[in-house]
Amino acid sequence: MAIRELTLAHAGERDLSKLAEYQAIGGYKALAKARKMKPEAVVEQLLASNLRGRGGAGFPMGRKASFLAKGTGKPTYLCVNADESEPGTFKDREIMLLNPHRLIEGCLVTAHAIESQNVFIYLRGEYLDVFEVMRRALEDARKAGLMGDVTIVLHRGAGAYICGEESALLESLEGKRGQPRPRPPFPAVSGLYGSPTLINNVQTIATVPVIVEKGGEWYAKIGPEPSPGTVVFSLSGNVERPGNYELLLGSGLRELIYDLGGGIPDGRELKAIIPGGSSTTVMTPDQLDTDLDFNSVAEAGSQLGAAAVIVIDDRACMVQLALRSTQFYMHESCGKCTPCREGTRWMVQLLQKLEDGRAEQSELDLLLSVCDRVLGKCLCALGDFAAGPVVEYVRNFRDEFQRHIDEGGCPFGGESSLEGTFAPVDQHTHAPVAEVPA
Amino acid sequence: MSATELVTVTVDGREVHVPPGTGLVETALAAGVEIPVFCYEPRLGAAVGACRMCLCEIEGMPKLQAACTLTATNGMIVRTAQTSERAAEGQEATLEFILVNHPLDCPVCDKGGECPLQDLTFRWGPGNTRMTFPKRTFEKPIPISPAIALDRERCILCYRCTRFSESVAEDGQLVALNRGAESVIATFEDEPYLAPFSGNVIELCPVGALTSTQYRFEARPWEIQNVPTVCGLCPVGCNIQATTREGKVKRILSRNHPEVDEGWLCDKGRFAFTHLRARDRIADPLRRVRRRGFDVLSWDDALGEAAELLMQAQGRIVTALSGSETVEQAYALGRLMRAGLGAHTGVLPEETSPALDAFRLPLSAIRDAELEPVAERAPIVELWVKAARRQGAQVEQAGDALEGCRRLADKRNALGKSLRESERAILIWSGEEGAGGAHLAALAKELGFAGKPASGAFHLPCTPNGRGIADAWAAASDDEGPNPEPIGLLFVSGDEAAADPNVRALAERAERVIVNAMFQGLAVGWADLVLPGTSYLERDGTYVNLEGRLQRLRRAVIPPAPDELAWISKLAERFAVEVSPHASAVFAEVSERIYDGLPFGEVGEEAPLRTRSEAPAPQLPSEPAAEGKGLRLVRYRPLFSGPAVERVPELQFQRPAPEVELSPGDAGRRGIAPGETVTVTHNGTSLQLRARITKSLREGIVRIAAEHAGELGGTVEVAK
Ligand SMILES: Cc1cc2nc3c(=O)[nH]c(=O)nc-3n(C[C@H](O)[C@H](O)[C@H](O)COP(=O)(O)O)c2cc1C
Ligand code: SF4
Ligand code: SF4
Ligand code: SF4
Ligand code: FES
Repeated sequence: MAIRELTLAHAGERDLSKLAEYQAIGGYKALAKARKMKPEAVVEQLLASNLRGRGGAGFPMGRKASFLAKGTGKPTYLCVNADESEPGTFKDREIMLLNPHRLIEGCLVTAHAIESQNVFIYLRGEYLDVFEVMRRALEDARKAGLMGDVTIVLHRGAGAYICGEESALLESLEGKRGQPRPRPPFPAVSGLYGSPTLINNVQTIATVPVIVEKGGEWYAKIGPEPSPGTVVFSLSGNVERPGNYELLLGSGLRELIYDLGGGIPDGRELKAIIPGGSSTTVMTPDQLDTDLDFNSVAEAGSQLGAAAVIVIDDRACMVQLALRSTQFYMHESCGKCTPCREGTRWMVQLLQKLEDGRAEQSELDLLLSVCDRVLGKCLCALGDFAAGPVVEYVRNFRDEFQRHIDEGGCPFGGESSLEGTFAPVDQHTHAPVAEVPA
Repeated sequence: MSATELVTVTVDGREVHVPPGTGLVETALAAGVEIPVFCYEPRLGAAVGACRMCLCEIEGMPKLQAACTLTATNGMIVRTAQTSERAAEGQEATLEFILVNHPLDCPVCDKGGECPLQDLTFRWGPGNTRMTFPKRTFEKPIPISPAIALDRERCILCYRCTRFSESVAEDGQLVALNRGAESVIATFEDEPYLAPFSGNVIELCPVGALTSTQYRFEARPWEIQNVPTVCGLCPVGCNIQATTREGKVKRILSRNHPEVDEGWLCDKGRFAFTHLRARDRIADPLRRVRRRGFDVLSWDDALGEAAELLMQAQGRIVTALSGSETVEQAYALGRLMRAGLGAHTGVLPEETSPALDAFRLPLSAIRDAELEPVAERAPIVELWVKAARRQGAQVEQAGDALEGCRRLADKRNALGKSLRESERAILIWSGEEGAGGAHLAALAKELGFAGKPASGAFHLPCTPNGRGIADAWAAASDDEGPNPEPIGLLFVSGDEAAADPNVRALAERAERVIVNAMFQGLAVGWADLVLPGTSYLERDGTYVNLEGRLQRLRRAVIPPAPDELAWISKLAERFAVEVSPHASAVFAEVSERIYDGLPFGEVGEEAPLRTRSEAPAPQLPSEPAAEGKGLRLVRYRPLFSGPAVERVPELQFQRPAPEVELSPGDAGRRGIAPGETVTVTHNGTSLQLRARITKSLREGIVRIAAEHAGELGGTVEVAK
């Protein structure tokens, strides 16, 4: 297993948030190169690279860029999704804190490729430190005359996970209530202010410079074929050395947890792994030999998602875990569509009853039925993010759910701990995020 | 559209051919399949896909799809809940989720019996509930305005109301607060929902979450009748249904005429009906008695008295009309006065002109136009203009009728030039200076609109049926006569005329006065004889709206006194004039003279617009208006004014404030800030009003609601 740093290259050794340092390692050369190329030529490199989106769905970025409607007479927009709010995810934060210019260079190269003059970075509101770093970096880049005819707007969200969903992000940017839009029309045709819009994750965009620098074909060859390149894995939960690790896709799950992460502390046993953030399906220790790339994780029945690996040891009660996850989704449901709005609340009520040991047998079946009635029926993926994992918690840990019913209480008897895995929902800010001094 | 341009869609095994882009809900309907919906309402803009009631299976798509968000494409195969188990399960899931927190207080809910949620639950829903937890509760009902109550427990969060407020009325006052299961509908900053079209949200709400305070607990659907008629409160003539129970109007609903109102009503049209039961409503004829005020008369005595007064005047009679009479009523009155008594002098409420008939278009054409100089706002017209602007039309402030007409007719004027070039341009004007639309017609002709079927012009009259009564009065006789001096008798027809200061001034010069009015407040004190009046909701007949569309009025309730046609007919008999008491017969006579013999029955439930007719266009106003220094005052009749509105408590808070509206430029030059008290002066008279600064006014013009403008007119000066 090799750490392979592209988006975080040299970030460990130097302060890349300083423009001069970034330029010293060859920064903004890809921009200069790209600007000498025809926009279509840049898109071709992106297509050739087979770079898949790092925001969760893994859609090939070059293809998405090539879908953008042309000749509409309207401006084309680029929106960078930096809303990173899913439990377990913190890779974008690291990239922006340690290597802000890499993202800015990526924005400028992509803007050139899609002939856009307007870039918006939609930043999670609570990321105040990131905001300051990005703001300074943007100012430096502007002063250094790197912007060309492009304007980059750094927009802070107001504390809603749903605004990471691309169409809700657009609504929010437009100043409206952050709620998803039905698709079609897709943002590539009618996005921000009804204009063609490309939306990509921070890491996706931060990977663009290296592709332009070394060529799409080069990139396509590193890592496994269907999903090449590197991903910054956010390792958290019950491991010795949590943190961000930029690895080639296809690296082993076992190596990440045990070699890089140092294994489970305090001689505890590994109980479960959530491979891609709280919205992805739980995996069990017998799946440790799964390779971490989009296809392999999917074959193992889960999703790579945003590569947020949460390690859970044997202190955790899985009913409590399911409850906490669902509480998060209930709290973050935007309330637009019926199944998610009402279903998440009902799921929480049922899970709470189960966890308290007050549930009847039929209520476990009811829980699964409610999940089933949410799955695949919502306007956006959040409903599935809430219900899908619960079904899998029950499927993989049915005994534990059953014991809550049979024993009339939690078998852990209050000893269960979710420490380091999922924060309770009251720790998610709901109040307006802190103001930035002008 | 030819068959080659249609796409073929299969819905539940039935093939149907529709134009590409047709919504899937409509496509299914064309195939005879109903897809249930809650949030879908095409009049509110693009579908939002919120409620998930319309889930369907589409071949080639793995997940169930919200049919309302899709459009027909060729070869599409759709399976609805009728044939797809998955879709049926999806629909049942949605209903179950909607109901888990729904209070199901149908027995005390106004919507009960006409509630889509009830109906769909009955048809598709589960028979029992699997929800055993306490339901979400909210304080209820919350008055969000004097006219509207909100019950958040019943709300299914379809966002119809907020979408209306945001993207149709564009008042931005209804909003959703919070997230997820905590989401609630609220007014912005908890201020009352104060907007001219607020009542539409009651009708849009698919459940009993938004209810009318007037209709609360008043009736059940199985004990009501809905009478299709038109609103008689302004010249738009929105199509309405009057809901009646036990002989009383309980509420007004829209009756979507897609060319006139698109199913929207203004709050005046919706809430003003309670004026029928105003405390000072007159039910019996009254005669002035010296020192004692008034005596109630029997109808026989009253008609005798009226005949006596008419006789005594010896033809020196002036008839003042309101503009709210039906065509038939004005004609009958014309027959009585003109044919029966040789009294040809009628005072009309406003000038009218047939010239604009050559540029006639349905109101809905406003939405589809690309260029619109607008010189006035009128209730529903305003919504059409907003829709046009949302579709990208260029909407310009055009100044007032006189000045704007001359300016745009000038070949060097840039806007005028664009208007000449456009194929879809519409002029929207109003104002007393406009000669009833004649000037505007001249402008339209000058701009070449005659040969452009999608370009047209509207002149907004002040009264609901001004055009209709003018034509009917004119048609009543071919003879003419001199204006009587002195006036022997002034006959005042209707409350608006009775409230008109000009008519009151005439009364000063008249020996005797007969007033036909609904409200004591307007009749007592100056009339010798008062004959009870009726309202548009109590009459049969026809109205001509501002498009020139003849529309049918149907009696929704019996008035407390015989209607005007009935006693005019009786009075006419005494003067050997034959006038039928039945609207249909009178219409036949009028129609013979001025509507090409159009039968009454063909005016119809959804009246068509008559085709453009050739009319010699008059000349543009040649005389420059008295310019002088200062600002031109435009007096306007606000939506929320008039005898009916004054009698409806729910509408009081919408009445206009004593304000003068100024353009930012004019205000700036005079150092006037918004909200400041200013003095408006004309010819030595002056008034103190609050300044309101609005970008929608051109420089050089100020606006004051007629009821606050006092004697002011012409050119005024405004100073701090
Ligand atoms: C509820 C929800 C939350 C999401 N949050 C994020 C997020 O915080 N960051 C992100 O990049 N993508 C997020 N996504 C995925 C985006 O919708 C979108 O697919 C992504 O930004 C596309 O970028 P990519 O193609 O570069 O991955 C979220 C999706 C959903 C349904
Ligand atoms: S699934 Fe949830 S978050 Fe997504 S639109 Fe529906 S209510 Fe909103
Ligand atoms: S109040 Fe009525 S219209 Fe508004 S969201 Fe609720 S159910 Fe829909
Ligand atoms: S706009 Fe005019 S016609 Fe329509 S409801 Fe209002 S008052 Fe009546
Ligand atoms: S009617 Fe289609 S989602 Fe509401």
